[in-house]
This record gives sequence, C-alpha cells and structure tokens, in this order.
Amino acid sequence: MYGKKNKPDLPLDCEEGGRGLQEYLDGTLDKPESLRFFLHLRECTDCQGEHDRLQGLFRMLESLPDHEVPADFDRAVLDSVPYAAYQAMEPLRRDRVPVYLEEAFLPRFVRARLTRLVGFGIAAVAAALALRGDGSALLPVLIVTGLLPEVVVRLQGLGRRALETTRRAES
Amino acid sequence: MFDRHQDLKTIRRCKRGEEAAFAEILGRYRGAIYNLCYRMTHNSEDARDLGQEVFIKVFSLLDRFDENYAFSSWLFRIGTNHCIDHLRRNRLRFLSLDGGVGPDGEEYEFQLPDSGPTPDTVLQRKEALERLEEVISELPPHYKAITLLRHDQQLSYEEIAEILQLPLGTVKARIHRARNQIQQMLAARSYDI
Ligand SMILES: [Zn+2]
Repeated sequence: MYGKKNKPDLPLDCEEGGRGLQEYLDGTLDKPESLRFFLHLRECTDCQGEHDRLQGLFRMLESLPDHEVPADFDRAVLDSVPYAAYQAMEPLRRDRVPVYLEEAFLPRFVRARLTRLVGFGIAAVAAALALRGDGSALLPVLIVTGLLPEVVVRLQGLGRRALETTRRAES
Repeated sequence: MFDRHQDLKTIRRCKRGEEAAFAEILGRYRGAIYNLCYRMTHNSEDARDLGQEVFIKVFSLLDRFDENYAFSSWLFRIGTNHCIDHLRRNRLRFLSLDGGVGPDGEEYEFQLPDSGPTPDTVLQRKEALERLEEVISELPPHYKAITLLRHDQQLSYEEIAEILQLPLGTVKARIHRARNQIQQMLAARSYDI
C-alpha cells in the first residue's frame, strides 16, 4: 500500500480510495467526501493511475458504437399491433368514470323522477311558508331535504360532464 | 433523458389504436432497444428478433402500463428481462451438454481466447472498442444489463433501480462489481484500453 509516511494527516488512505473510486467517478459522493478524494488523488500517483484507468474505461463504455437498426425492423412490429382491439376498447376506456360519478352509485329511489318532484314540491311549500313569516325551525330542514335528491343527481351529472371535457382537452 | 410527458401523450394515442402513434414510439426507441439487444447478445439477428419481440410485447400490453411511471423505464425493463431470459435459455441449452449448471446464470466462467493479442500491441481505438464489446458480451446477463443501462443508455442509478426494480444500494453494488469484472477480463486478456 502507498503509505505516505511524511503526510500523516492525509485524510483518505489508498484502501479507502480504491474502494470509493467508482462512486467518485460516478459523481454520487457528497461534496466534502468528493473533496477528500480530489485531494488524495492529487497527492497519490498510485490512486491517480487507477483513477485514470477507470475513467478511460468509463469513456470507452460511453462511446460504444451504435449499430444500425435493420431497415425492415418496424414492419413486423407494426403489423402485429392489435389496432382494432385498441379502437374497440377506446369508448369503454373513455366512458370509464370514478364510481361516485356513475349513476348506479345513487340508490334508485333517489334518482326516481317522482322522488325528485315530490321533494321539489315539499321544498317549494316549505319555502312559501317561510316567506309568509312562519317561524318554524322545521322549514329550513324541509327545504334542504326536499331539494337534496335533485341537487345530488345534478351534481353528479355536472361532474361527469366536467370529466369528459377535461379528457377531451387532454387528447 | 427521455421526454416522459411526450411519451405519455403518444401512449394515449396508441391506446386509441392510432398506427402513427405506434410508429412514433418506434422512432423514439428502436435504436436504444435494438442496441441494448445487440450488446446483450452480440449478434445482429438475435438483436433484431429480440428487439421486435420487445416492441410487440409492449404494444400488446399497453393497458397494463402504469402511467405513474415513465414509459421508458417500463420499456427498458421489458427489454432487459427479455434479453436476460433469452441468454439464460440459450445458456442452459448450450451448457446442458456439460451438465451441472445452476439455473440462475448469475455466476459465469469466461474463457480466455487461445490467441489473444500480445500485450505490447498498440491498439487502434476501434479495435479497443470492439474488444470491449466482446468482453461486455461475455459478462453474466445481469451485470451486462446494468452496465449497458448505466453507460450506454447513460441512465441514473435511480432510473436503473426503477427499471430493474432493485434497491438503489443493490444497483450500485452490481455496477461496481460489473466494472471490476470488466477490468479483470480485459487484464486477463491483456487488452489494454
Ligand atoms: Zn492513494
């Protein structure tokens, strides 16, 4: 080993240097560590030689010649693609929405036209009573509950449409 | 190094069945994948077959591609695994004549050529590169793959870890061992590069 007896404060010895040289060259050491290597390499011809050999190898590895792709490479690949299957899948994929935006996510009776109409009627009557100055605390509750089925169904539809619009914009 | 966002847009067009989009992906990656396969097998016919198989596989599995990852990582993972599988299959077939080889292909004896060049031959750069390619082609499949991803594709350790689905520490250790082995093989053949 290299030793360097006249420099006992050498912060990095050759053994450590040999082990960490690859990381040094990869640039994956942190700054202080990298500096220790740099300083050691400046002082130590053995490690410097090893460094240069390894760096030469890296350069060679990075300059391996590219081989030309055969001219008929693409044809076989493009002929094999199941275009029709992808095209057939597309509407399904496009229509797929998060489960809470699917109509079936809401119970059938909530979606029923009758429920929504009756709810609307209840809310309207309650609102009329409230306007006439009837102070019952029940009225706001009736208004909200009555409107709820209609609001939920409409919000869901709005969410679906918003999603479709963003998807169309993306593609 | 590859444009992840651009890839994603093209992949979405592929999923709609647009032939031009598949051709775009080929244009972007055929060179990288073909050369990966070439250096893994050191044979142009195998490289063509393997490279085409990789794309055929990828193009038929696009619905399984997880858009949270880079398409290039997924493509290189399939490419690397396909080559490693090919090498192992062939190695087993070839070595079954001698028998007694473990199925993992991890350890690998390489043979010195009978008539190597003399140590003091001054090598042309081109020759040196050819020798390096030859040595790489004889590395164990895993070392070979990791060396090519790092130095030929010039990917980061992080990207390689994602491609090979290995911890970062394992990737580093393997690359170090692979380089050591390349140096030893070059020295054993007195190939001075
Ligand atoms: Zn030293």
